[in-house]
Amino acid sequence: MVIDLNKCLGCQTCSIACKTEWTNRSGREYMYWNNVETYPGKGYPKNWQKLGGGFSIAGDLKEGVVPSLKSDYGIPWDFNHDEIFSGAEFKPNVEPTWGANWDEDEGGGDFPRDNYFFYIPRICNHCTNPSCMSACPRDAIFKREEDGIVLVDLDICNGCKECVASCPYKKIYFNPKISKSEKCNMCFPLIEKGLPPVCAKQCSGRARFVGFLDDLESQVYKLVYRYKVAIPLRADFGTKPNVYYIPPVDSPFKFDENNKMTKESRIPKDELEKLFGKEVFEAIDKIKFEMKKRRETRESELMDILISYRQSDMFEVGR
Amino acid sequence: MRYMYIVVFLLFSLSLNAHIVAMRVPGNVSSIGPNSKAWLSSRYTDIVLYPQTSIKSSDKEANELNQNSFAKRVKVKALSDGKNISILVKWADKTENNSSINGYVDGFAIEFPLKFEDATQLPFVIRGSKQRGIVLHVKKALKEVYELDSDIYYQIDKNNQNLFGKDLEEYEKEVEKRAIKGYEKVFMQWGMRVKEIKSFKSHMQMIYKNGYWLGTLSMPLKSSYVNLDKGAFALAISIWDGEKKSRGDLKLISSWIGVKLDGSNGGEKFLKDIKIKLSGDIKNGEKLVLENCAVCHRYKGVVMAPEFMAPNLSNIGGYSTTKYIEESILKPNAVVIKGYNKTAHKNFVWYNVDNNGKITSTMPSYDWMSKKNIEDMVTFLKSLRGIE
Repeated sequence: MVIDLNKCLGCQTCSIACKTEWTNRSGREYMYWNNVETYPGKGYPKNWQKLGGGFSIAGDLKEGVVPSLKSDYGIPWDFNHDEIFSGAEFKPNVEPTWGANWDEDEGGGDFPRDNYFFYIPRICNHCTNPSCMSACPRDAIFKREEDGIVLVDLDICNGCKECVASCPYKKIYFNPKISKSEKCNMCFPLIEKGLPPVCAKQCSGRARFVGFLDDLESQVYKLVYRYKVAIPLRADFGTKPNVYYIPPVDSPFKFDENNKMTKESRIPKDELEKLFGKEVFEAIDKIKFEMKKRRETRESELMDILISYRQSDMFEVGR
Repeated sequence: MRYMYIVVFLLFSLSLNAHIVAMRVPGNVSSIGPNSKAWLSSRYTDIVLYPQTSIKSSDKEANELNQNSFAKRVKVKALSDGKNISILVKWADKTENNSSINGYVDGFAIEFPLKFEDATQLPFVIRGSKQRGIVLHVKKALKEVYELDSDIYYQIDKNNQNLFGKDLEEYEKEVEKRAIKGYEKVFMQWGMRVKEIKSFKSHMQMIYKNGYWLGTLSMPLKSSYVNLDKGAFALAISIWDGEKKSRGDLKLISSWIGVKLDGSNGGEKFLKDIKIKLSGDIKNGEKLVLENCAVCHRYKGVVMAPEFMAPNLSNIGGYSTTKYIEESILKPNAVVIKGYNKTAHKNFVWYNVDNNGKITSTMPSYDWMSKKNIEDMVTFLKSLRGIE
């Protein structure tokens, strides 16, 4: 999957689509197999980037922390809507501590001089080198040969949470109700029918491309390998993730001390480099170059792909 | 004072040498729990459980909590009525952990080798292997689990249901009815391969009383999976302490322990073989292990080897029989657990699989060593175990 961060408007339609399809029941209530978080921010679960896991440079599985359900994920709460008509105080049934969208739109920088944020939609990366799979002491996690989807065999899983500790993206969750681990399954029943996952289908910004990277004609192949503008998130975790992001290209300029606009982008370069590595700058330059070409009414295949005139063209799982 | 130490040491080694005797009692023990009066007729045998240190967990916090885990003495009783067997395990635990919402739960497991004709060729106690499977009975203090079925309606959180008042109450009752109380499961395990057996007629209970857990397993001696009715058999016990976030492989585990069925013939050789002790030259053994093993294996105080090169041997003497250690040195290919370490630590591959599917351990055989030197090494390795 390729997600264009320039087109993500943080509407959470993907999160809702995923939630209603998969996680509104059966002990998965707290899980967000798909979430959209504001960057910079702590994200979901809280501070996931700092919780460890993944592989070291030498290729060894690294230790990680299992986030706490209460303080890092946050137990979902509801309000007493039916009681307030009889005069009760309006209150949540659980004390809210954290949630999937807790620090939405807070961002970083100082308002109004150089404040900024952008959204990062996150699902399981269906890594080529999944650390959850490596950590599983029972071989309950497997990667499908035919499409690379990483799945948990619930008949084998015994809920030891080794996978939760070792996933650096914290995109595998422990289900306390059934005492097993569960994760994004890339809507595999839909993929098998040649249809895109619900998060991609429902994306109102047309930000998500779905296809196979070994299909040389697919848009995802072109974005990732031909134009090299789609980059995985935190590739330094060493799991070879398969969700790629088109980095944010344009941002408003900063203001200087005299509140005069400068020529400097608000998104700090080191933040981009931290998320996407050094390749991010080449990718941004490439996109800017192609944008310029298209503005001058010249042909640009890259721009045509990124504009996505027809949403159906973005999903190439059927062929 | 010195004499006292000797006495304590003698008692210690005596108790470690003991096997469990399953007392023959009249009546039916197929479903008795810890509160049954039947237990009064038998005596406890002490079994020491050691922290599993062969494989490291990926949970940072749990590793920190279990860094200095001690061995633990548990008390075990067994009863048999000729057709069924019941085993009682009692262990001290300061805290009762039974919720997986904010933590980890206490639990225990009793395992049996699927084949135990030869006590010198028992499975890898932690999880069995392809050729030597185990059957594992697990009980966790988890209050309830919900099996997922195709009826999605009853899986929806009550806050998300469009029901109010009486309807909601009925809904909650139905959900409650569908919950499976407690966590009790039987698995067959061949290394990384696991199969849950839902039809196994065993009965487990866990009761927390005055700082102690009492756990029982009652089951028929003969089933289509394993036949324990052969005079004597082996079992191993493991416990999990939720307070220390222990679960899965993070556990305290015993070695294979012999169980004699009272009033049933046979099994004498088995009981003898399972607790064979060597009295080699431990000093020479230590030297030889340092020279031959420490390059790949880490163990207490010796950390020359890279961290994930080979299983850590710090407690190997605690949960392995003498014969298992000896076999592992002489025939490293006899027990290889496929799946271990293969993708987690690619630089240190613990085994290779050839085109015919034959698994070969990376460890070379040490069958070229003299019998005496092997004996000395095994004696030393058997002494590698945590203190209580």
